[in-house]
Amino acid sequence: MANILLVDDSSTMRKIISRSLRQAGLAVDEIYEAGDGIEGLSVLASGKSIQLILSDINMPNMDGIEFVKAVRANGNTTPIVMITTEGGEDIIAEAMSSGASNSIKKPFTPDQLQEKLGGML
Amino acid sequence: MSLNPDIAISTNLTEETLAGYIISATQDVFSTMVMMEPKDEFPLQEPVSHFKCSITGMVGFAGTYSGVISIHCPVSLALDITSSMLGMECAEVCDDLNDAIGEIANMLGGSVKQVLSKGGMDVKLSIPTVISGEDYTVNSLSDSDCVVIPFVVEEQKFLVGLTLKNG
Repeated sequence: MANILLVDDSSTMRKIISRSLRQAGLAVDEIYEAGDGIEGLSVLASGKSIQLILSDINMPNMDGIEFVKAVRANGNTTPIVMITTEGGEDIIAEAMSSGASNSIKKPFTPDQLQEKLGGML
Repeated sequence: MSLNPDIAISTNLTEETLAGYIISATQDVFSTMVMMEPKDEFPLQEPVSHFKCSITGMVGFAGTYSGVISIHCPVSLALDITSSMLGMECAEVCDDLNDAIGEIANMLGGSVKQVLSKGGMDVKLSIPTVISGEDYTVNSLSDSDCVVIPFVVEEQKFLVGLTLKNG
């Protein structure tokens, strides 16, 4: 069972993703939530055991791409999957070159989560 | 109310084609995230910019194209939408309601951006803004360059509007 850090400025989306992860039958234990990249870094700095990070891109204070860069700059190699409304190939390419492992476009179905995350959990 | 002619030329889209993208994006967001199946009633018969007991979620575009995509619905429908999205009863205007309608606007913005932008870097999306009230007017909906799509779901109506200009 994996612990997940979920970074999204929308509390509605955090609830939907949490529910969808469980509906998809993925092996999820604890889900820690953060409202932007800064909060996400704080959760990681707290020393919690986290096996997968899911992050939005378009967020206030610190966006998802800056968050990915900061995580990698700290030497953290935890897989990061972007879950975002941003489907443009250049933005996704920037996220991937910054250290993201994969991306999922919103809106999504539980089956799409299973397809993208199943091999990671 | 119609698609700005300059936008039609630069995007190579007709108003009907753009309306089709908005309808498809809206139905996709609702069917996957809200568990509702809205039907469009395009074209809009009468211009609407004045709302009572309603809520509006908006996301701005900036860059090669600028503008706003917005969703407008009665509070009663917004409560049903939020309850369905969250899988729990939402009975009054609260942070969850505002967040849910803002997130729908955000997903619609992402879908429209994908139509307008080549790779995603030339058009930026804003963070969603949500307003609600007993009686208010949204000026961008009365803009001559606004494409407005009426929808009906569970016997209630809502609107999705897109105002676009060259950036």
